[in-house]
Amino acid sequence: MSRSVLIIEDDPRIRRMLQLTLQREGLEVTEAATGEDGLARLGETSFDVILLDLMLPGKDGFEVCREIRRASNVPVIMLTARSDSHDVVAGLEAGADDYVSKPFVVKELSARIRALARRSRAPEPRVHLTVGDLEISPTEGTITRDGAMLNLTRTEFRLLCELAVDPGRVLSREELLERVWGYDYFGDSRLVDVHIRRLRKKIEPDPSNPALVMTVRGMGYRVPG
Amino acid sequence: MTAPVDGAASPGAGAASPGSGAAPVRRAPFRLATLRARATAAFTAVTLVVSSVVAVAVWVAVSQFLLLQRERVTLVQTSDNAAQVQRSLVTEGLDVAQVLAQLPRETGSTSLLVDGGAWTTTSLLVGRDDLPEELRELAVAGTPVRQRIELDGETVMAVAVPLAELGSAYIEVFPLGELDRTYRVLATVLAVSVLGSVPLALVAGWWITGPALRPLDRISAAAAAVAAGALDTRIDPRGDPSLAPIAASFNHTAEALEQRVRSDARFAADVSHELRSPLTTMLGALDLVEATADPGDAEQAEALALLRSEVERFERLVADLLEISRADAGSTDIALEPVQLSALTREVVGRHRLDRATASLLTVHPDAAEVLVCADKRRLERVLGNLMDNADKHGGGVTGIAVRRAGDLALVTVDDGGPGVAEADRDRIFERFARGTGSVRTRTEGAGLGLALVSRHVRMMGGAVHVEDGPDGGARFVVALPVEAGP
Repeated sequence: MSRSVLIIEDDPRIRRMLQLTLQREGLEVTEAATGEDGLARLGETSFDVILLDLMLPGKDGFEVCREIRRASNVPVIMLTARSDSHDVVAGLEAGADDYVSKPFVVKELSARIRALARRSRAPEPRVHLTVGDLEISPTEGTITRDGAMLNLTRTEFRLLCELAVDPGRVLSREELLERVWGYDYFGDSRLVDVHIRRLRKKIEPDPSNPALVMTVRGMGYRVPG
Repeated sequence: MTAPVDGAASPGAGAASPGSGAAPVRRAPFRLATLRARATAAFTAVTLVVSSVVAVAVWVAVSQFLLLQRERVTLVQTSDNAAQVQRSLVTEGLDVAQVLAQLPRETGSTSLLVDGGAWTTTSLLVGRDDLPEELRELAVAGTPVRQRIELDGETVMAVAVPLAELGSAYIEVFPLGELDRTYRVLATVLAVSVLGSVPLALVAGWWITGPALRPLDRISAAAAAVAAGALDTRIDPRGDPSLAPIAASFNHTAEALEQRVRSDARFAADVSHELRSPLTTMLGALDLVEATADPGDAEQAEALALLRSEVERFERLVADLLEISRADAGSTDIALEPVQLSALTREVVGRHRLDRATASLLTVHPDAAEVLVCADKRRLERVLGNLMDNADKHGGGVTGIAVRRAGDLALVTVDDGGPGVAEADRDRIFERFARGTGSVRTRTEGAGLGLALVSRHVRMMGGAVHVEDGPDGGARFVVALPVEAGP
């Protein structure tokens, strides 16, 4: 089944190049030159992954990302010309799932797209996972507390599943990068930290004093066993 | 505190070679190291001059005064005695010797009487012949005379007063030894005061100039900080009105310099940002062309390989430029964390050498296998990648990479198969856009930002990098980082 990708990028040459190369990789590509245009396309059809340039005329990439998040949990990959701490973290805080710095190699970008578009692995044989008072159903992609559904992005959901499969075991940032984002070694550990922060905001009763996703200093993260 | 006087003479500075035409550079025979020392020396010199002048003035005034007073006393006494002698001789008819013996005299003084060529004296030591002839004649001729004369090595004052009868005079000789002793004591006291003022002035000058020159110390410290790269250094005059103008102009200059450096760095960053988008398109388009190229066409393949290598070189240059300009602009987004050096090195080597056998290149010494260093992962990857790029470009390829431990340091060494780096170039190659000297490293590929970035990053992580001779004649680059933890 071919994955569909929406590219929101103002540089027509990069857009065209991405269309040419990603199509060869077997992806179905839709283009948008502005954030407004991209949000309109998103209203019409659904996509598996969105590529979002951060520097856009009019509505900038951060704002577009926040608007996408209000409506959808679709994975978003930022395209950034800056790899400064500030831009990357701000983009992730705005709701992006991953980022690629220009100039990038298309092979690497398509690997990122595939990693995020992948359905979460069903941790057989157990069908239901629990973390504290949360009920997780990996196969259905739902998470509930006292019967009420919680709204997580796909990446946040997979992050929680990876931790919940083996309660009490500490997973390092590198392990999480590999399992959730598909990085072999060279992932940016800020990805994990920002996503954990976002996850806590959604599931922890008191995010500044986490009881479900706990930090193990110098080692990684774990959920209570 | 530094010694106030730097007595280092410049040996042979004045020796000019004959016929060279150029004037020899003459330096002062010795110079004082610090401004404070010079100020102290000047203060001392002025003190010495002033105290000498005062001492001389005191000497002249006091000695003149004492002499005048002495002369007046002797004159008065001689006149009184002369009058009494006259009275006694005329009215009482006493013997001359008796008259003289009864006269009131101060200790040590001698009375003489000449009467019609006959001399009478009260002392065996002082007689007619001891007095100068001129004095005798004038006195006998009726002129009062006063003269200082030397008598048996002692200075004495002879005062002659003529008596009423022609041919007779009363002469009294006073010792001046007391006055001479007073002079000597006075001279000694004055000389000691002058000499004693020198050490006192040195101490006082050093003590006074300290606080006075402290503002200058602050300015020089601030200037040194700016020179060392702390461009945001400013001087706070702290209510010192004498410092305020110079502090203001220093701050203004530092501000301008900082602005300039920042705007240069921003410009470089903007340029490299602008270059990133076209680079992205070029890389993607190149991928596509390569994927669809005719595998049988050797010329096309070579052209594509050339294009790829140039685009990648361009990409590296832009990335290096961006990174170094960011460091120049004072960005400190360094993320230090414990990193297992051997694992990271293995990954970088593996990625760098996807196309070749890599296992044989990397040696991890057993004691370094588990060593952790405190590093910024991204920067450390960049450091090792750049060193391997450098070996490929300038050193005929990497011949060996090793991770080892030396005490508190973890070392990564990158050896290459090139001709090595000349001793003179070993510091220079870590500067920007420095290339190997033409004779040694002939290939001109590479813009020379790579090693500058290596040096910069390693220093940011608290380590050091240097180059030495490799075991097989090539160059060996050594990155040393402090060990964080480990067995």
